[in-house]
Amino acid sequence: MDWIIHDHLGLVGLPHVRIENGGNTGGSALYGAFMAVRSGLFDCVGVYGWETMDNVTQSQGSEFIALASDTRYEALAGGIYPIYYAAMAYKFMKENGLTEEDFALAAIKNRNYAADNEKTQWYRSDYTNPESPYYKKTLAVEDVMESRLISYPLKRLDCCLMSRGGAFALVTSEEWAKKHAPHNYVIIDGAGLSSCTIRAGDRIDFPGWNEQYGKGYPDMTEFAACRKSGEMAYDMAGIEYKDAAKEVDVAELHDAFSSSEIQIYKALHWCNTENVKDFVREKQTFIDGEVPCNVGGGLMGYGHPVGATGIMSALECMMHLNDTAPKKHLSSKTYVKDANTGLVNSHAGTGTSISNFILRRP
Amino acid sequence: MVKDKRMHKIPEHNDVKFDEYYPNKFRGDVKETGIGFMGYEWDSSMEQFKVFLHYDQLYYWKYAEVSKLGKGFIDGEFWGTQCPKCGDKFFPPRVNCWNLNCDLAKSDWIRLSEKGTVHTFTVAGWSGKSSLKRLPFVLAYVIVDGCNTAIANELRGLDPWDAEFGMPVKVVWKPKDQRQGTVTDWHFEPADGWKPSVGMTPEKERIKELCQPVIEWVKTMK
Repeated sequence: MDWIIHDHLGLVGLPHVRIENGGNTGGSALYGAFMAVRSGLFDCVGVYGWETMDNVTQSQGSEFIALASDTRYEALAGGIYPIYYAAMAYKFMKENGLTEEDFALAAIKNRNYAADNEKTQWYRSDYTNPESPYYKKTLAVEDVMESRLISYPLKRLDCCLMSRGGAFALVTSEEWAKKHAPHNYVIIDGAGLSSCTIRAGDRIDFPGWNEQYGKGYPDMTEFAACRKSGEMAYDMAGIEYKDAAKEVDVAELHDAFSSSEIQIYKALHWCNTENVKDFVREKQTFIDGEVPCNVGGGLMGYGHPVGATGIMSALECMMHLNDTAPKKHLSSKTYVKDANTGLVNSHAGTGTSISNFILRRP
Repeated sequence: MVKDKRMHKIPEHNDVKFDEYYPNKFRGDVKETGIGFMGYEWDSSMEQFKVFLHYDQLYYWKYAEVSKLGKGFIDGEFWGTQCPKCGDKFFPPRVNCWNLNCDLAKSDWIRLSEKGTVHTFTVAGWSGKSSLKRLPFVLAYVIVDGCNTAIANELRGLDPWDAEFGMPVKVVWKPKDQRQGTVTDWHFEPADGWKPSVGMTPEKERIKELCQPVIEWVKTMK
């Protein structure tokens, strides 16, 4: 596929690598490009991701995607990703004193921001579609609560949609960027990528995680691969974990499910069991909060064309650090001004592979 | 070649002679048609052309070193594995220990009791195409017989909104002639004598209310 693109763009003769890593494909490709440039082997690498998911029904597509989970022990038992995530989210909700309404806050936040971004599926299929029940509607928590059950505690509006989409980014040396895009580039200051078990049920006593984070972490409630890759990125960028929420000015997280977004806040050290509830209810990840998240709409807004998503997240984050957001979005309402540090998160499986990046304004 | 005790036996090319077929008839029933052209559509005003193709393929899984698990399901037996060094117990089985200190020790097969506790669960109101008619159902992650891992399967035999964290469950097998050697040969049900620890709570009411449209929707499915 990579060479098909070369063929069409007239770029035949260049090296090419195909990176496939489920929902973390975009993040993993970005990580690959980052390695290629940091190694000194290349000074300009194109990273592109795409997915075509609209030629099957949602239930058929969900089943295809579930084949990326453990087919022998999970997919056959009737599980699809929203169900696995719901089982994880329910325990997380209980153990952290959260409610369905807390998850719903992330769902409405991202979709309402998407109403300011004409590239998003939400904007095109719902916000500007007179036939949608959500036409010109600013969503409230009640809308999520009233939407149909997907898998408790997740309802339809707690979940992103399958989509068709593509995204492209250039990862270059700083010299190349200074020469060709002097006022437009941002710096990848930290990068992390981590694996985890394919089955969430294998995370309740995994020796490697027990040793690194204490016995029983991440259980089936949190994402150890997110914590680990986040710490790698923070370390590389010189960010103390305890200060992470203060240092990061804008973030694009993998909100395939509203619950995941909140699980990610915790995995990234922005809050803990004691204060995650307050962190969410004080709207610390809304645009006026401490760490604005997914102000471009996230996966809730864009949909989740699997291979493209991570790159979209990186681009949306970049738009605040190089101040292009007001032009790329419909207004400045979804522009985080004076942001110097951004975080990009990309996520696969049931948290089976996760990458995190720290972006900085030069 | 130096014999490594951690390695599993790998049969030579002619060593495997499958002598039990079940059912035997599917081989003739499943037509592998390959790529087939089904038809096309044309939008004359936008000048857009679309071709429909269908692809059909019979798949198989070789269970190899976990073959005992598959045959165990056929025979109504639960086989897990245990590390001889650290004692960690696995279901589904891991054939080499996950603990780096155990240096990939080859694990031993152990017969497990068919009892467990619910670690977490969810009430599904939507699923993949093959599972829509079973909605709503409880998918539970269960720790079987004190294992260090949890396995997902359906929890039946109760109203979905009555499921609870930590509840004791048992394994219930399909009739022998319907088993296929996969996790769908069995499901979980509440342990004998189990009763919900509380009556209807606001949360249970909420889940019940969310399930009603799903129940009605499934009734309309053919």
